[in-house]
Amino acid sequence: MANVALRRQGVRAPSLAARRWKQAAVVIVGWAAFFALWEFASSVLFNPYRLPGPVAVFEAMESIVTSGDAVKHFKASLGKIFLGFGFGVALGVPIGFLMGTTRYWKAFFHDPVLVAGSIPGITYAVLALVVFGIGIEGPIVAVALISMPYIALNVSAGLEGIDSSLIMMSRAFGRGRKDVLRHVLIPTITPFVFAGVRLSFALAWKVEALTEVFGSSDGIGFMIRRSYQLFSVVDVLAWTGLFVIFMLLLERVLVRLERHLFRWRPQEATA
Amino acid sequence: MAVLKVENLTKVFPAAGKDAEPTRAIDRIDLELSGHAFVSLVGPSGCGKSTFLNILSGVEEPTDGSITVTSDEGGPARFGYVFQDPRLLPWRTIMQNILYVHDDRGEETKRRALEYLDMVGLAHTGGMYPAQLSGGMQQRVGIARAFSVDPDLLLMDEPFSHLDAITARSLRDQLQEIWNRTRKTVLFVTHDVMEAVQLSGKIIVMSRDGRIHAEFTIDLPHPRSAADPEVAALQAEILGEFEKIQAAAGNGAAAPAQAG
Amino acid sequence: MSTGAAARIEPGARPRRDTGLPRRLLDAVLSNTGARITSYLVFVLGWQILGGLYERVPGPVEVVQFLADEIGRGGVWDAFQVTLERFFAGVAIAFVAGVVIGLLMGMWPLARALLKDTTMVGLAIPAIIWALLTALWFGFSWKAPVLTVALTATPFVAINVTQGVQGTPRDLIRMSKAFGVSTHRRVRELVLPFIMDYVFTGLRFGIILGWNGVLLSEWFASTEGVGWRTRYWYDANNFDGFVAWIFLFVAFIVVFDRLVLSPIQRRVFRWRTTVAMR
Repeated sequence: MANVALRRQGVRAPSLAARRWKQAAVVIVGWAAFFALWEFASSVLFNPYRLPGPVAVFEAMESIVTSGDAVKHFKASLGKIFLGFGFGVALGVPIGFLMGTTRYWKAFFHDPVLVAGSIPGITYAVLALVVFGIGIEGPIVAVALISMPYIALNVSAGLEGIDSSLIMMSRAFGRGRKDVLRHVLIPTITPFVFAGVRLSFALAWKVEALTEVFGSSDGIGFMIRRSYQLFSVVDVLAWTGLFVIFMLLLERVLVRLERHLFRWRPQEATA
Repeated sequence: MAVLKVENLTKVFPAAGKDAEPTRAIDRIDLELSGHAFVSLVGPSGCGKSTFLNILSGVEEPTDGSITVTSDEGGPARFGYVFQDPRLLPWRTIMQNILYVHDDRGEETKRRALEYLDMVGLAHTGGMYPAQLSGGMQQRVGIARAFSVDPDLLLMDEPFSHLDAITARSLRDQLQEIWNRTRKTVLFVTHDVMEAVQLSGKIIVMSRDGRIHAEFTIDLPHPRSAADPEVAALQAEILGEFEKIQAAAGNGAAAPAQAG
Repeated sequence: MSTGAAARIEPGARPRRDTGLPRRLLDAVLSNTGARITSYLVFVLGWQILGGLYERVPGPVEVVQFLADEIGRGGVWDAFQVTLERFFAGVAIAFVAGVVIGLLMGMWPLARALLKDTTMVGLAIPAIIWALLTALWFGFSWKAPVLTVALTATPFVAINVTQGVQGTPRDLIRMSKAFGVSTHRRVRELVLPFIMDYVFTGLRFGIILGWNGVLLSEWFASTEGVGWRTRYWYDANNFDGFVAWIFLFVAFIVVFDRLVLSPIQRRVFRWRTTVAMR
């Protein structure tokens, strides 16, 4: 007696339009979940004074924006971050490259990079204050020093994890180091560099704000500190909200860029 | 005994962009496979053979048509799968790799796993890691793994195409031996007509338009040696037919001048 | 033939054996240990120079002096004990929560849709904000530092785990699905071992940031622990003391990484082969 052990039926693949709708729904669901969770925590888990709900915080954010404070302080912070970040990349990529390819330099840089990555931002913040006083140099140097280790480590890890069969193949064909560099190493580490950049960009934002909390007279960090000193949770959250929104927008730009740069990668199967 | 029935199977990949055409990877395929048959699916690259196997094993969904597997035993259909590359978990030993695909890992299963490892001549490697074996040996483990689940249907996707000719020949012989002993239902996908003639009882020819164009039945006894003149003659004949089909289907493959 | 000169990167390698003293000295300097020691020397030298240039920056000598005094005064171990308890509690929470969230997001699109944006917000919020908020919420209690560490570290663990899950080799996933391996088994034997690397990277990030977080939290909202001591000296305008405690703070994480994290990483990833490093 035969028994049907398996049956697979044809099913229409979703149209392009249907897939677009699905993607939009995903975004909406994600944010809805976030705000629902927040509102829940605010009104049920704690209380609206201790943890203001989304509505109160949005109103506070609105007043900050309309008063012009938002633009003024964001411009200040953004400028410092970009400069600091540029220095961080300029330092991190060569160090990472040395660490990833040569045993000597890996041993040399291992501890300093680790330490530099472990030094709490607060140290850079205060040291910057101590060395540079209140001004723009402090945050810039702090950002550079904090972002450098992540970029260096990522580049180094990328080089170490490189597909050894590709390098073996290149050497078997007599490819000199320059060729291996151009055709194997650089294309392989580019995603890691980009990942390091993307990761440390978020970090740079935070360290910059941190430095401003301790040693600035303008910028987002400064305003957050003021709100804290006034015991205003709603203002701390409002400035944080603006800070986060800005950063997420920038990250989305970076993700678009990343996607564009790596078009040739196949879509990952879901695990 | 298992029976595979494929009806009107179609797979259309949606258009990549706004102006592109959707791709018909498989176009209305009808196929029936009954137990203990060794069937080869032959065609040029890109003719949908791998897509067909993916649908069979559930990795992809068909756009139309249906696949039914009936068997005399109860329970869901079990598939064995051998890929072009070994696909072993690098962080597990050989024995653990074979056990990975089994739900029940008792003594009986372990004994069977060892038995199949022995059939491919690798009984001593149970405790080693994949990285310690050569490519050919890893592929043999893959074959042992597929057979060890006692599958209703054994799917093989160009399993020897990534190996050197000598290893491939030796593995082909080993495969014939195992198949002779176990008489599993095998669907063997390849682009190598000679290989198909050597191994199969039935050859199905596909071409780039995703359709089946011909079927050949081969009655020679197993195991077959490539050196056997009867086998060689059959290979030449079927190869000629194969190339005619591909040319007619507009593949642009130049058919060399052949008798017959 | 390329395998000779082109393949060798290591400086100082020579084809002829030469065991005189200068040779051995050079070998020692260029060894891994030699490299490490050199980098420390460079650092201390740089510090000394910086201290000389800037009046207010304490040089290495003053800091060491202060440390000796402080240890003599006692209380260093007590402060660390308090801080470490809070720190590890926070890390434990972050590890569990991060792995769970990361797995969910990596494996199921629905979970990813629900959790991703919240996780991104979590990644975006710096430790200082959590420190300030938990200070406002919990005042002077152990909850503030523990929660600061947990909130800071969890998103990093989660996002790394997700990336690991999504980066699991597709061919092995296909193989598992083709053989009908159950999801539970697939996760345990394929996904989890593979993502250990990523879990570890995420945990390492989390530990570093969490360590920073505990300092910040104790700076604002504690009357004991390493962070509080650091602030104490800063408020007293004693930069020797401030830098000394920061030094202790940093030294701990360095030692922890060397003695604990690196050995674990090396043991777990035996099956990898690397060629690029000589």
